[in-house]
Amino acid sequence: MITIQGLSKSFTTRSGERVDALRDVSLDVGENEFLTVLGPSGCGKTTLLRAVAGLVPWDGGDIAVDGSPVRGPGPDRAVVFQNFALLPWATVLDNVAFGLRMRGVGRAERAERARSLIATVGLEGCEAKLPGELSGGMQQRVGIARALTVRPRVLLMDEPFGAVDEQTRRLLQEELLAIWEEHRMTVVFITHSMEEAVLLGDRVALMSARPGRIAEIVPVRLPRPRSRDVGGVARSGEYAEITAYLWERLRDMHAEHRPDRAHRPDEVAS
Amino acid sequence: MTLSITRRSAAVFRAAMFRKAFPHPNATIIPGTTPAPGATPVPSTTTPPNTTALPSTTTARNAPTHRKPRRSGRGPQAGPRPTRPTGPLRRLLDMNLPYQLLTFAVLATCWELYAGVRGGLLLPGFAETVRATAGLLGEAELWRALYVSNQALVLGFALAVVVGVPLGTALGRFRLLERYADVHLNILLVTPMAALIPLLVMSVGVGTVSRVVLVALFSVVMVIVNSRAGVRQVDPALIEMARSFGAGERTVWARILLPAALPAVMTGVRLGLGRAVTGMVLVELLMVSDGIGGLILTYRGLLKAPQLYGTIAVILAEALLLGAAAHWAERRLARWTRPNPSRTRTARSQR
Ligand SMILES: Nc1ncnc2c1ncn2[C@@H]1O[C@H](COP(=O)(O)OP(=O)(O)OP(=O)(O)O)[C@@H](O)[C@H]1O
Ligand SMILES: [Mg+2]
Repeated sequence: MITIQGLSKSFTTRSGERVDALRDVSLDVGENEFLTVLGPSGCGKTTLLRAVAGLVPWDGGDIAVDGSPVRGPGPDRAVVFQNFALLPWATVLDNVAFGLRMRGVGRAERAERARSLIATVGLEGCEAKLPGELSGGMQQRVGIARALTVRPRVLLMDEPFGAVDEQTRRLLQEELLAIWEEHRMTVVFITHSMEEAVLLGDRVALMSARPGRIAEIVPVRLPRPRSRDVGGVARSGEYAEITAYLWERLRDMHAEHRPDRAHRPDEVAS
Repeated sequence: MTLSITRRSAAVFRAAMFRKAFPHPNATIIPGTTPAPGATPVPSTTTPPNTTALPSTTTARNAPTHRKPRRSGRGPQAGPRPTRPTGPLRRLLDMNLPYQLLTFAVLATCWELYAGVRGGLLLPGFAETVRATAGLLGEAELWRALYVSNQALVLGFALAVVVGVPLGTALGRFRLLERYADVHLNILLVTPMAALIPLLVMSVGVGTVSRVVLVALFSVVMVIVNSRAGVRQVDPALIEMARSFGAGERTVWARILLPAALPAVMTGVRLGLGRAVTGMVLVELLMVSDGIGGLILTYRGLLKAPQLYGTIAVILAEALLLGAAAHWAERRLARWTRPNPSRTRTARSQR
């Protein structure tokens, strides 16, 4: 479904330093697969996702979605942003319908499809509210609904639950899983959390930093539907084992990078 | 404010400590334990009559009914807010107008008193000025002057908006343009515009054109600078979001940049309007003796002080009205900046 081959991308910082955000990243994501991407901060996860979304140019390598090379944003892909990226002046309904509007869908159909997705994410009754009147969790529900209205084949999510509290995050994870079970699609889901990566993903792509590359792909062979309930997958020994293994790898990466991180100014970009 | 809060919470803390150290014999809680924060206060009706000396077994935080209501409801405050009556008097006191009227009355009284002692031909009293203003309003001369002046104002201000908004927003979006324009804009920002008046008159003459251009020059800088700032502070994530759904540059402008920059643009327009009024009067005073400025000069020449003050009062009133109208338009067009209280507060305090 998504084929990434030898992808490289470097940035030049304002001080003139070159940062290899991605070097020789190769990755295949299968049809309707849920792939989670896990890695230390600054390893290029966001850059990878933006490249697949067609939002940034890259230096070398190829990305193809469904066999056709990525040259920019396309109707087959939709993005969910970490900080929601909602229009503060537009109502929930208009925000959810925004993607459709960009794609030239007529007003009536727009409203109808937006309403049905607002119901899917559990925001009925909030159609006329402004984003500023919603909690963080509700705002990201709007972000998810907006991405889903355009019926993408690939859903790209950049730490979508990173800015909400732990309880809301768990709710959103369960809701996302439920939605995905019903409407299967290819998902690339970036996260900082090992638990989240294992709970959601069919495979976990573990990235290492400087230069950003895929360190390992860890398959998660846990049965679906997955849940945190008593007796659910999240209580199993295998779940705990994978999570622990991922943490071990990440800890090693952090240790490796400590010496040269000391004198590197922390460039923030996400 | 900060001080009082600190003192208050210190008092709350002390009270809590006191109760912890000396639990009341009849208290319903086990001595040595404090109720969890947020625990429901024990209604005073359930406490036995002989415990009234220490009214509640809960901490002071949880017993707002026993505290005197605080004076002002503004500003951040710790603890629950006591409900206060919302009668017509309360609402009146919550508005700004009564306070403004009060200061105005005080100033007018001072003026009247001072003019009574030191006044004379050149310093009319407040009452006399009011009378003269009323008289002026009945004269065709004033209305003609207002018409002439406002012609320049309207044309010049419109020119400033028509040029300033596109230019400012473009500068905010395109780095290259910004590089070329920045130095000129800075010059324009620091130039005392009044110094340009002789230059303008020499090149364009003393006609309407000259006045229009000057009004435009006066106000355009505010419009440009604020529009530029408005576009610059647009969240890049919003632009990226629009592009991810396939929006091109034109759509990004129409659906993201312009709506997001609108509040700042409107602020620029409002500030620009104020500067336009300044420019209008100034050019007439300094060079092109016409309109309101011309009238002021005439009254000065005739030593008609009350009329002179009256004219100034009229122009002040116009400026205030225009400012209020611009403010109203600004708030109407930028409604969405209000629901988020923290954002509103910063926006207000900047003004
Ligand atoms: N626009 C940019 N200009 C300069 N450097 C950038 C830019 N965007 C990203 N980088 C650099 O590229 C590297 C990867 O950034 P990226 O945002 O992809 O990391 P990330 O894995 O998403 O990090 P986080 O987990 O903190 O979101 C970082 O070192 C960052 O400093
Ligand atoms: Mg990131």
